Amino acid sequence: MVPLVAFQVLSAALFAIGLYGVMARRSAVLIVMSIELMLNAVNINLIAAASHLDGMGKWANFDGQIIAIFIITVAAAEVGLGMAIILRMYRNRSTVNVDEINLMKW
Amino acid sequence: MVWAWLIPVLSFAAVPLIILFGKRLPGKGSPLAILAILAGFAIFWVVFAGFLSASPDTDGCEIGVGTEALTCNFQITWFEAGIPGADTKNHDRIEVAWGMTVDPLTVAMLGLATFVALMVQIYSLGYMHGDPRIDWYYAFHALFIASMLTLVLADNFLLLYVAWELVGLCSYLLIGFWHERPEPREAAKKAFIVTRIGDVGLLVGILLLWSQVGSFSMSETFAAVESGVLSDGVITVSALLLFLGAMGKSAQFPFHVWLPDAMEGPTPVSALIHAATMVAAGVYLVARAFPLFSASDTAMLVVATIGLITALGAATIALVATDLKRILAYSTISHLGLMMLSLGAFGYTAAIFHLLAHGFAKALLFLGAGSVMHSTDELDVREMGGLRKVMPVTAILFSIGALSLGGIPILAGFWSKDEILVAVNKELPVIFIVLTLLTALLSALYMARAMFVVFYGRFAEHFEHVHDAPKTMSITMGLLAVFAIVFGLVALDLPGPFKGIGYFIFYHEGHGLELVAWLAGLSTVLAIVAFVYAYLAYARKSINLEGTRGTFGWALKVAENKYYLDEVYQWTVDRVVLSFSRFIAWVDRALVNDVGINGPGDVTRVLGDRLKYHVTGYVYTYALAMALGLVGLAIFWWLVSR
Amino acid sequence: MSWFLFIILAFFTLAGGLGVVVTRNVVHAALFLLVSLVAVAGLYLILFAEFLALVQVLIYGGAIIIVLLFAIMLTRTAEYPYISDNKQWPLAAVAAAAVGVVLGAAFLDSNIPETSPNSPAFADLANSLFTTWAIPFEVASLVLLVALIGAIIIARTGEDNR
Repeated sequence: MVPLVAFQVLSAALFAIGLYGVMARRSAVLIVMSIELMLNAVNINLIAAASHLDGMGKWANFDGQIIAIFIITVAAAEVGLGMAIILRMYRNRSTVNVDEINLMKW
Repeated sequence: MVWAWLIPVLSFAAVPLIILFGKRLPGKGSPLAILAILAGFAIFWVVFAGFLSASPDTDGCEIGVGTEALTCNFQITWFEAGIPGADTKNHDRIEVAWGMTVDPLTVAMLGLATFVALMVQIYSLGYMHGDPRIDWYYAFHALFIASMLTLVLADNFLLLYVAWELVGLCSYLLIGFWHERPEPREAAKKAFIVTRIGDVGLLVGILLLWSQVGSFSMSETFAAVESGVLSDGVITVSALLLFLGAMGKSAQFPFHVWLPDAMEGPTPVSALIHAATMVAAGVYLVARAFPLFSASDTAMLVVATIGLITALGAATIALVATDLKRILAYSTISHLGLMMLSLGAFGYTAAIFHLLAHGFAKALLFLGAGSVMHSTDELDVREMGGLRKVMPVTAILFSIGALSLGGIPILAGFWSKDEILVAVNKELPVIFIVLTLLTALLSALYMARAMFVVFYGRFAEHFEHVHDAPKTMSITMGLLAVFAIVFGLVALDLPGPFKGIGYFIFYHEGHGLELVAWLAGLSTVLAIVAFVYAYLAYARKSINLEGTRGTFGWALKVAENKYYLDEVYQWTVDRVVLSFSRFIAWVDRALVNDVGINGPGDVTRVLGDRLKYHVTGYVYTYALAMALGLVGLAIFWWLVSR
Repeated sequence: MSWFLFIILAFFTLAGGLGVVVTRNVVHAALFLLVSLVAVAGLYLILFAEFLALVQVLIYGGAIIIVLLFAIMLTRTAEYPYISDNKQWPLAAVAAAAVGVVLGAAFLDSNIPETSPNSPAFADLANSLFTTWAIPFEVASLVLLVALIGAIIIARTGEDNR
């Protein structure tokens, strides 16, 4: 059987990849995609723990799955809003590159 | 007598009225000031009469501590501070009163001040006629006389100090009254600063006394002196500190330099403030604090010595001065020195007597000089001569003042000067009486010189069309002249209850007129010789002065340059004070400002300039910061939990 | 057998993720993301979470990728083929690696007792979702509604509401 640690290390790696995308990409659309990767990393972690740790403590094995469902829901909402914001941004400034948008500067 | 407080208050009340409504009042408010002082003069007589009829049984009156003269006190509490109900002796509480003292000294000063002020203000109607700022002139005048009267009435040192500074302020304002010209401005500043040096001494002295006695009240202070509570050292030091204030105000050497320059003010101001009243405040202070001074031989000797130096030095300068008002100014300094000398010689009565006699005579002389100046616009005595032809009234009145001050018998100055000579002869070493007689001779000589050069001798033709003084001016001068003639007679035991001034103003015990025959004779001879010599030298020109001028050239030069004191002061200020000030300014600019104040500001600004670049405005920078922060926190937590 | 499946799926997951963050083409990135997400759905199956795998494919593979592709299409400009990373990418790589190391170290260090995955009953999941988690469930639907309205308002051209 595949131990829990394998899933956890996998999720850590995926999370790091997503984080790199958030910090390094120029396009806002790509940043949103990277965020999706990070959310998935979290979901892997949750579901792996839920399957392996059934009955430990007060958690049932599907509590993790349910939280993952909520995360997917929020991710959907986030993508919808994020895309709307990106569209608005594109319409106002004709670009979606975050290194061309620095109104928060000193 | 309880109404004495009303005298200054009336004049105080006139000040805001004149300032606020003066422009709309007839005569620009001048009648208001004159009415206030006229009422004050009337009340003075009421107070005087009340005081004469008072006895130690009268409400508020008692035999004064120290002076042993009848003293009446009226006071209301001004303010209290500190722990309520605590003992004032321990400085846990102070209690200061608006207090009025009425004693012979006060009565005498009240009479002099109100009378001369009244005369001068009426005289000013003519002298200042047409001046655009006459309302301010009268407001300052009223403020001055109110302060001066408060000063002489004050029964505690704090109130006295307040009034003391107020008269200094008025003096400054009135010297610089014509501030369009630079000289009055400079003179006003000089007077203010020089007197301030003395005032610091006065304030420190008052506070020293307070710290020892626990009260500002004069009677309590003197009682402490009498009962031996104060140590000799404290008495001497505080007396000398008070004397420092008196030296500044009464223009004693070496603080006399401001008074000649103060002549840049309007002449009536010179007559009132810088001859008769304010400059006498120093003498008054020493007389008022006489129980303190007389308890210290050192202080008395210092007072006498300073007085003598001032009297002699100023007399020599007066002899060679060429500006009529400055001659009178140096004469004033000289006579103030004589008063101090007299006080130092325990001649309490003589000093106050001379203060009064000199006040009347010198006010008269100044008003006469003002009259000359008003008519001729000239003050240099070398340009004048024979003015009695065109202004006979002024000439006669000025001559009366000069003769009186010169010490010609029967006139007021003779009696008072003689009293001083007697006191000096009795109490001080022989060198003092010799130099005092020399001063008396010089005094007669310079008065005679001023009188003969200006009004007698060859007529200066360019004053052909000069006219005499207007009525307001000549009448007031006439009244003052009457006093300059007859005031000396109060020294005599006249028929009636009045037994002479010695039984009215005295220290410890009343005494009659003391005449020492040889002194009186000698001083009379000296005065007459001086006048005759001056007549021959300046009016008839039968004595040629050029030879003397050649022999004593160096001495003349020193005297004409006022002993180079102004130059010494200037050097001191330039080299010592200004260098020190530059150093302080450098400390302020370089250390306090650049390092202390701009330093933190610069650090903040430069730091902000550098650090602002972390706020890039790029979202991913912030994301990076979050990630690094997460790593940092994790490592930190790992280290802590290990 | 499960090890074999896990390695293959993990490979696709990480390869897809790396593709997302390194490719220069946005459309390729979206397709790489799709690969990664579907691989994750496979991982869910190994963990006996069939329902989640289904949801993953439907919502991520279906809805979210479509929305992203629409966004790419609507914001397309000439510079897209040359898109690249911003200037701080080396630092970002270091930071991301550090986060990954920290997380991995934490997991490896956690000493969780070894157990094997088991599968919950489908019906139990539904029961729990609609009883214990009923209120969060409703809140989640409200979140979706608000996000929907917000997206419409933000993305509207806006000329009619001025």
